[in-house]
Amino acid sequence: MTPTLSIRSLSFTRGTRSILQCVNLEARAGEIVALMGLSGSGKTTILRIIAGLDTPDAGEVTAAKAGMVFQSHYLFEHLSAIDNVTLAPIHVHRVAAGTARERAQALLDQLGVGHRAGALPRELSGGEAQRVAIARALAVDPPLLLLDEPTASLDPARKNDLGDALRALAATGRALVMTSHDDEFVRTHATRVVVLANGAVVEEGDPRQVLDHPQHPATRELLEGWWAGWGSNPRPPD
Amino acid sequence: MPVSNALFIRRLRYHPAVRLRAAWLSVILLTAPLHAQTPAPLRWGGDAEGGAPFVEADPSDPARVAGFDVEIAELIASRLGRPAKFIQVAFQSLDQSAIRGDFDIGLSGIEDIPARRQSLAASVPYYEFREVLTVREADRERYRSLASLQGRKVATLGGTLAYDLLLAAERSHGITAVSYDEDVHPYSDLAMGRVDGVVLDHVLAERAMRRNAGLVTHPDALAVGHYIVITAPENTALREQVDATLRNAMRDGALERIFRKWNVWNDDQPRLFERVLGIAGVQGDSGAAATLDTPRAVRRYLPSLFRAALITLALSCLAMALAVVLGSLIAIGRVYGGPATRSMLMVYVEVMRGTPVLLQLFVIYYGLASVIRLPAFVAALVGLGLNYAAYESEIYRSALQAVPRGQMDAARILGFSNLQTLRLVRAPQAFRLALAPMTNDFVALLKDSSLVSVITVVELTKQTQIFATNIGSWLVPGLLCAAIYLMMSLPLGYLARRLEERWRMPGQ
Repeated sequence: MTPTLSIRSLSFTRGTRSILQCVNLEARAGEIVALMGLSGSGKTTILRIIAGLDTPDAGEVTAAKAGMVFQSHYLFEHLSAIDNVTLAPIHVHRVAAGTARERAQALLDQLGVGHRAGALPRELSGGEAQRVAIARALAVDPPLLLLDEPTASLDPARKNDLGDALRALAATGRALVMTSHDDEFVRTHATRVVVLANGAVVEEGDPRQVLDHPQHPATRELLEGWWAGWGSNPRPPD
Repeated sequence: MPVSNALFIRRLRYHPAVRLRAAWLSVILLTAPLHAQTPAPLRWGGDAEGGAPFVEADPSDPARVAGFDVEIAELIASRLGRPAKFIQVAFQSLDQSAIRGDFDIGLSGIEDIPARRQSLAASVPYYEFREVLTVREADRERYRSLASLQGRKVATLGGTLAYDLLLAAERSHGITAVSYDEDVHPYSDLAMGRVDGVVLDHVLAERAMRRNAGLVTHPDALAVGHYIVITAPENTALREQVDATLRNAMRDGALERIFRKWNVWNDDQPRLFERVLGIAGVQGDSGAAATLDTPRAVRRYLPSLFRAALITLALSCLAMALAVVLGSLIAIGRVYGGPATRSMLMVYVEVMRGTPVLLQLFVIYYGLASVIRLPAFVAALVGLGLNYAAYESEIYRSALQAVPRGQMDAARILGFSNLQTLRLVRAPQAFRLALAPMTNDFVALLKDSSLVSVITVVELTKQTQIFATNIGSWLVPGLLCAAIYLMMSLPLGYLARRLEERWRMPGQ
């Protein structure tokens, strides 16, 4: 089976600063790949390149059509939740407005925010906004879903709901790539973890294996730093 | 009949010569105790924009004025044993300035009308003029009287005897009266075909015939009027002195010499002098309506004020619509365009913002008249629209740039084209950010629309001015006018606040 996402020898420079160096990455249908690394390791840049928002300097990116859920959601502030979800189906995919609305409502129901369909983004809580953002990304049925720090705006109880939802999505034949600082979440829900340090992949594999027995110093630093800061700073900065 | 137009007055007010005079005045004031025996100067008010032969800036020395009114003022001053000192006042403001005491005596082709006699101390008449009809040479036979001009436009100067005459002819002969703020453009517009006749003093008509080829003036007087000297209402003592001086000057030929020098002497004048010297207080066949008491005047003027308010409202709405459309295009060009487009649009914005809208109106209506002859309302609409487009474009540009980058990223990933992103995501959000400053601009435009009276559109402020001139007071017309402006702008502010509340953006 050909991978949904395939990245070969990817390099990216912003100004004079090298962000990514020779990164290889693959994701297949049904997989949930977690990108981990300290802030500034290049995780979000990889997502932006896969989504086509940034253009790499070198390397090869083969990706199916991607949907993306941003860390700060970027819901269209002037539209209600359901209008956020139907905008692309109606205007890009020429789906009839009625049909698009029905599907959008079904998606929102499925994600547990159906009752908030008429609310404006500024009226939604962080968790609700995230689920509307997921619904918006899924409305055009992309084979590849990118999520930037999906656990950042969630309380612990909601994290499991999100994890279950992501696994359900993967089970329908999508490939998911997410960035995360939350090793517990990754351990529980991801099928594979890729650890980045200074713009390069230093370690990858089964989450339990990699996170319980880190081989690379960068992975150890990531986990220790994480735990060391737990008391004072439960949510590390991006 | 000298006249104002705000553009020139502003220029004049800041003219170095004027400042020099102000400096000179302070020198005189400071050194006054040293020259206690020197009599106080006789300050006389007039409008140098009225031009020859009344009062004009001396071509050889623009800081000085010349004209028959200048010489009469100097004659009065010298016979009172005081030095004459010229005070520049816009023609339309002479009455109010006299009441305020900005000058001692005013003369600048000021007409003898009942309202003026009621609110000011007015001298005996010193010159008799005829109101005459000027038409194009080709229409000499066709348009011989106001009656023959039925359904046509006839121009004159606002707030004058001639304007009252035309207002009466609107009712009796079905003409359309067009009011100007100065006496040059009624004739140039006549030559150009924008109007079909001009009614004004014969002195002005003769001057205009020298300037514009192809015009002809019918000699018959539509009415007769007189020029007078005005003083503040309480200053009757000075008025008596002026009257005595004028009578003496009529007797000893000094007035005749002045009028002959300026080529305005004719057979009407000796007859006027005889009457003035025979019986005091000559009333000409002025044809002016009798002065109304205020409540009746309000009732008579209220409908025309409301009609003028409709013009103001229509003009503001249409000009704003033009400004919004054009401003949006400019803003989009400045945000999305290449370097050439961006710098071209920037030049447009800076030129329109950096020059007075009054100047732009003049250029569009009079300056471009040889290329494209726009009707006054259209010229006003285009002028205000083009000017405000520059301001709107700046608002929209910053609003577009204030929409977070992430919104555009999200749209791009969803597959929207650049145009779709602009139309569906960026512009709607920018519009909500721009709403408050836009409302401000619309209210400002509502008020700026009063400037278009300089190109003959009679809107609310102009109609108020006509009203005020007619009853000789600004108090009631001013309050009515303010109330009508508020009636138009307050609901707008309310509507804008409601929309802003509904469309509030995060962080606002």
